[in-house]
Amino acid sequence: MLLLLRVRWQLFLNSLRKRNRRIELLVQSAGMLFAAIFVLGIGAGFFAGALASIRMSQIWLLGILLWVVFLMWQLAPILFEGYSPGINFREIARYPVSFRLYVVLNCAYGLSDPAAIACLFWMLCLWLAVLFERPAWSLPAAGILLAFAAFNVFCNRLLIGLLERFQSTRKGRERMAVILLVLMVTPQLINMTVINWDRMSGAVAPAKSILYGVAALNRLSPPGAALAAISGDGGERLTATLCLLGYMGVAALLLRRQARAVYLGEIYSDSFRVRHELKVEPGWRVPGLDEITSAIIEKEFRYLRQNARLLVQLVYPLVIFALLFSSRGATRRAFPFAGQGSTAMLGMMAGFLMLSVANMAYNVFGLDREGFGRWLLAPVKLQNIMLAKNLTHAILFITMYTVVAGVMLVFNHVPLLQFAGITVSFITVLVIQLGIGNLFSAWWPKKVDLSQMSSRTVSNAAGYASLLVIAPVGILAGLITLASRYLGWTWLPLVAGLVLLAGAIKLYFYSLNRAANYIHDHIEEIEQTLAK
Amino acid sequence: MPETVLETHALRRAFGELTAVDDLHLVVERRQFYGFLGPNGAGKSTTIKMLTGLLRPTSGEIRILGRDLEKDSVEVKRRIGVVPEGLALFERLTGAQLLTFSGRMYGLDRATAAQRTTELLEFMDLADSSDKLVADYSHGMKKKTALAAAVIHGPEILFLDEPFEGVDAIAATTLKRLLQRFISRGGTVFLTSHVLEVVERLCTHIGIIQNGKLVAGGSLDELRTGVKVAGHDHSPLTLEEIFLQVVGGARQPEEVLSWL
Repeated sequence: MLLLLRVRWQLFLNSLRKRNRRIELLVQSAGMLFAAIFVLGIGAGFFAGALASIRMSQIWLLGILLWVVFLMWQLAPILFEGYSPGINFREIARYPVSFRLYVVLNCAYGLSDPAAIACLFWMLCLWLAVLFERPAWSLPAAGILLAFAAFNVFCNRLLIGLLERFQSTRKGRERMAVILLVLMVTPQLINMTVINWDRMSGAVAPAKSILYGVAALNRLSPPGAALAAISGDGGERLTATLCLLGYMGVAALLLRRQARAVYLGEIYSDSFRVRHELKVEPGWRVPGLDEITSAIIEKEFRYLRQNARLLVQLVYPLVIFALLFSSRGATRRAFPFAGQGSTAMLGMMAGFLMLSVANMAYNVFGLDREGFGRWLLAPVKLQNIMLAKNLTHAILFITMYTVVAGVMLVFNHVPLLQFAGITVSFITVLVIQLGIGNLFSAWWPKKVDLSQMSSRTVSNAAGYASLLVIAPVGILAGLITLASRYLGWTWLPLVAGLVLLAGAIKLYFYSLNRAANYIHDHIEEIEQTLAK
Repeated sequence: MPETVLETHALRRAFGELTAVDDLHLVVERRQFYGFLGPNGAGKSTTIKMLTGLLRPTSGEIRILGRDLEKDSVEVKRRIGVVPEGLALFERLTGAQLLTFSGRMYGLDRATAAQRTTELLEFMDLADSSDKLVADYSHGMKKKTALAAAVIHGPEILFLDEPFEGVDAIAATTLKRLLQRFISRGGTVFLTSHVLEVVERLCTHIGIIQNGKLVAGGSLDELRTGVKVAGHDHSPLTLEEIFLQVVGGARQPEEVLSWL
């Protein structure tokens, strides 16, 4: 185990040899500090909540805390599986370790997961509250909580094992990343739907009866059994304890079976359909563009089509727009400006769409990875290649904006002058983002791995930089809008937008040349960053 | 008179204090099959990267097909084909899409690119996998795809960095067939390889680089004449013997790991 920890530490130290990684570490350290404060805060909440629930004889509240532990322990490591550095536990089986040691290492490794550590800390807080308030319960509670922790470890390693099995193929990894992303955005969409609940109040009564039915089954669940084993009467306590130990035993047996298969060398691989008829498509021809630019745009769209994670991120603003457009009242007020009339909502949606631009434009070579070198081998100027990539992104965002603006124009009657002002501003900011994005793509390239949830589409630094770019532009747009309202010059946003657009185009070509020159001077460095 | 297609003068590349290539003078003529050899870290890949525009030289001059690479890089790139060290493939395209794309990047029209892609996929035994993503290809299939992408536009010179590394015998035979055909049609090949037997069989001319400097060069016969191996009988020297003599890399038996 010490050897494993040492390898993990060395991987971490080696990753700090590059300046980019050191800055990324600083940003991550800030995140870890917040996470630590969060865990400590929740721990205090656990202590206070458990204390109050026992004192007020509302023992069922302890059950909720145990459910929080259970869900956190099982789901968080899966959600953050891709974020942990380096060791695929499956690889440990290659070394001369006995099966027994392999299983022990597997469980110990699971216990070293940050989510597991946080859960153990919260359970300790819960137990301390029991010790303070009901000392007579504390000793059996310690045993029950230990059994509950053991069950969680076995269950979690079992799930991680299944996840590794699913992720051992490229397609599985990519699908998993998309599933996790959808899982992450689903709560927000549910929240928006629930805010709009008043329009669907007829659905509340049946939902309540289902919830009561589910609650009755809680005693049979692992957290419910743990609660009954701690707080139940004599017979109930014994049954619940046996139930919890049963869960633990089953999880241990399943984990042993799974670990045995991995230990004995179980491997998985992609399988493919073999095509016997060779048919080569000639490729796309984009109207108005030359052969080479068309080819690059086709390649970029083919890459985008496979990037399901990015597609989810791109569809997300449109889903939000659909929810906002179909709702009234509370849901719209939950979004800034959305409840202040159709023009404000169009402006808000334009800004919302703009936030996604950085995901693509600030790391234009990220998905090319090893293929980056092919751009340099081609008899085409790098400026033209980047321009074609930017055109792809522009086509995508302008199409999305057109959908939103079209719906708003037809159904919400946005005044034409204001519509033109917002449209020109949208294009201006898009051009600025693409231009600055090219520079950041050269300065801070980042390899994007679609099969890794942890693999961001842009580096942290570039992501924050995009906000720094968009913030002053947003402030300027706000000032122009205010001035237009104050002075009564409705034409001002459009005229100012056109002037800024001219400046943005100039800035774009300047940054395009700067980026291309920088890449030529740092080819090998960039190639290594994207390939490794 | 033989036409010089590749020429370098005092080519140098430094990475900080390390000089990877130093004062390199190379001359390669049309229809030559030029093998560029050297031990690991000798500067082979750095040289080929500079010759193909993937790396800027610190100093010196490169002329390819009579043009200065620095000043006329787009035109030079149009007339050469490259299989670089990392293959540089867009792995999220299928084999067929990648080849069509490569052809179009070199200015072929869509129909010609599709036609040549079909022929190359058939020739390389990749037709059955043409709709698979390159990411899912085996290493040998990727090598064949990279070579197909390098020749699709009909280049005059091919630069190949370790084309036979990690390739099985069947794939290697296909690659060799293609290269010999290319030479017979007036092409020139510049390759680096560690597989000395293959180089000996294929190459007409050889250059050996060590510590960034060209330490031997010429046709195989010229190298055989120039290199003397102590205690060797009168049979012709193999390329391996010449190579080891030039770079001085042979270890004595007593130097071998005593515990193994």
